[in-house]
Amino acid sequence: MTQYFQDYITVAVFAAFGVLLVLIAVGASALLRPKNPTPAKSASYECGMDPVGGGWSQTQVRFYIYGLLFLIFDVEAVFIFPWAVRLEQLGGFALVEMAIFIAILLGGLAYAVRKGVLRWES
Amino acid sequence: MFDYHALAPELIVGGTLMAALLADLVLPEERKYLVGVVGIVGLVAALFPLLTLGFCEDLGFCSGATERVMFGGSYVVDDFALVMKGLFLVTGVISILMSVGYIESERYYQGEFYWLIVASVTGAVVMASSRDLITVFIGLELVSGPAFLLAGWRKGDVRSNEAALKFFLIGVLSAAILLFGMSLVYGLTGEITFEGIRAASATLADEPAFVMGVIFVLVGFGFKISAVPFHFWAPDTYQGAPTPVAAYLSVGSKAAGFVGLLTVCYLAFSEVASIWGPALWLLAALSMTIGNLTALKQTNIVRLLGFSSVAHAGFVLVPFAMAASYDAEGLQSAFFASITYLLVYAFMNLGAFAVVIAVAAKTGSAELDDWAGLSRYAPVPAVLLAVFFFSLAGIPPLAGWFAKLVMFRAVLGGTGAWGAALAVIAAVNAVIALAYYARVVKTAFMDPVPATVPLADAGAPIAPALVLALGVTAAVVVVAGFYPPILSFFGDAARALAFGG
Repeated sequence: MTQYFQDYITVAVFAAFGVLLVLIAVGASALLRPKNPTPAKSASYECGMDPVGGGWSQTQVRFYIYGLLFLIFDVEAVFIFPWAVRLEQLGGFALVEMAIFIAILLGGLAYAVRKGVLRWES
Repeated sequence: MFDYHALAPELIVGGTLMAALLADLVLPEERKYLVGVVGIVGLVAALFPLLTLGFCEDLGFCSGATERVMFGGSYVVDDFALVMKGLFLVTGVISILMSVGYIESERYYQGEFYWLIVASVTGAVVMASSRDLITVFIGLELVSGPAFLLAGWRKGDVRSNEAALKFFLIGVLSAAILLFGMSLVYGLTGEITFEGIRAASATLADEPAFVMGVIFVLVGFGFKISAVPFHFWAPDTYQGAPTPVAAYLSVGSKAAGFVGLLTVCYLAFSEVASIWGPALWLLAALSMTIGNLTALKQTNIVRLLGFSSVAHAGFVLVPFAMAASYDAEGLQSAFFASITYLLVYAFMNLGAFAVVIAVAAKTGSAELDDWAGLSRYAPVPAVLLAVFFFSLAGIPPLAGWFAKLVMFRAVLGGTGAWGAALAVIAAVNAVIALAYYARVVKTAFMDPVPATVPLADAGAPIAPALVLALGVTAAVVVVAGFYPPILSFFGDAARALAFGG
């Protein structure tokens, strides 16, 4: 056995205790409490509205494209924030690099616009 | 500061991607083939920095070592990387040439088609230089991602959908297995770069988790190179995918898998060759035998080529399977044999697929029965068919014989019964392979023409781009067969990797 696997023993013990704790809490209350169910008691109480309709609902497939575009520019923001903080130290080279990066992303946006994915009708 | 000269091929291919994307936006529908032209120009342009890098000293650009190490050892441009990058770029160019006429008839998303091929080639070019687990993985995914889309290009065709779905599911599965293996290796060695893993792995050969990690990495690459028993997706995918895409998958994507497998085995796991040596022996023997025996029964040419590419994956692995028992000289010869085989295979297989496209335009199908008597009404494609299929079979004086020669020389150079056994298996398989390649040629030349073919427009000339693709591949196969030193030059350059680590 190497150190590598011994580290997992800690994880296993932790997980076992977690399961045990839940079993004891739920099991003890199930043993100790009186059982007297009525329809009123079984209803969801102060847990929001009674559910209506099925669990599946349809979403316009076009939101997928918007989601993709959002993701791209979200990632762009993730890169830009640390870059902006360190820009003074990084110098002009970093400025050019970020310009290239944004130009590549704008190419993607231009592609999306030209292919008409941002037009809702059609 | 970065070594821009060493990165020039990648930068040019990346710039080509942007140029192709923008060209697709401004070009009208009937001019979309120009996107393919942009792609070809970009890929050819990327070949020039490969030359200036390869003959750096002779040209006076630089002095001393030709090997350039970047990003803390993660990215290395050596002679091996240059040769493989050249192969990938040429494969990309020929695939685009084969696609031009084929894709135009489909009439949709042509621009994106060429763009995706260039994107996939970008990943392959990156893979050739990758010397750490993460870069290899990203490169491999960049090769596969566009290929999933390309396989399902004919979206109205059920077979094409099946091809894409199978390829995608298997691709994701193999990526997961590969990542799991890599995570085990990283967990035990604490290193990402091949160099670091090699240094840390000397004491780990008996560690079960490390053995499992190595095996999982092999299995992950095994799917990519479609070695038996991880091959079952390949024939279905090749048959369903558009034929130029099948050609690209069977050469570009497969060679990328081989590059990953060889560099990982050779550079990262060289201290634990006792683990992967026997595994590769088994993969090689099974791939050759099962690939060839199944190919015997095929009636569709593309499926036949699919199983034949499985068998050729086995032949490429043969020299390397014995690497564990070799001394340094034997290892070099094994590496040389594998790379040479891969180079030859690339050209003859691309050529064979190009012939399938040209002939299918005349017969309307890739079923062997419809190809009977091809030489009566289409003599030139029939002759080219014979050239490429006999080359695949390894008949002199076509390039295939030289590949087989160096393969046998490398495997017999080692000592011991296992090497001899593998050589015998390979020899038997070479004979089996001849049977089905010769059957196709015999059908095309000797059988009577069936009533249903040729098509009414069979007299139409072959698309010029396809003629160019056929010409280039045929020239390489014939010239390299008569004058093998051309190839051994590249193989020798690639062998330099043996001393890199």
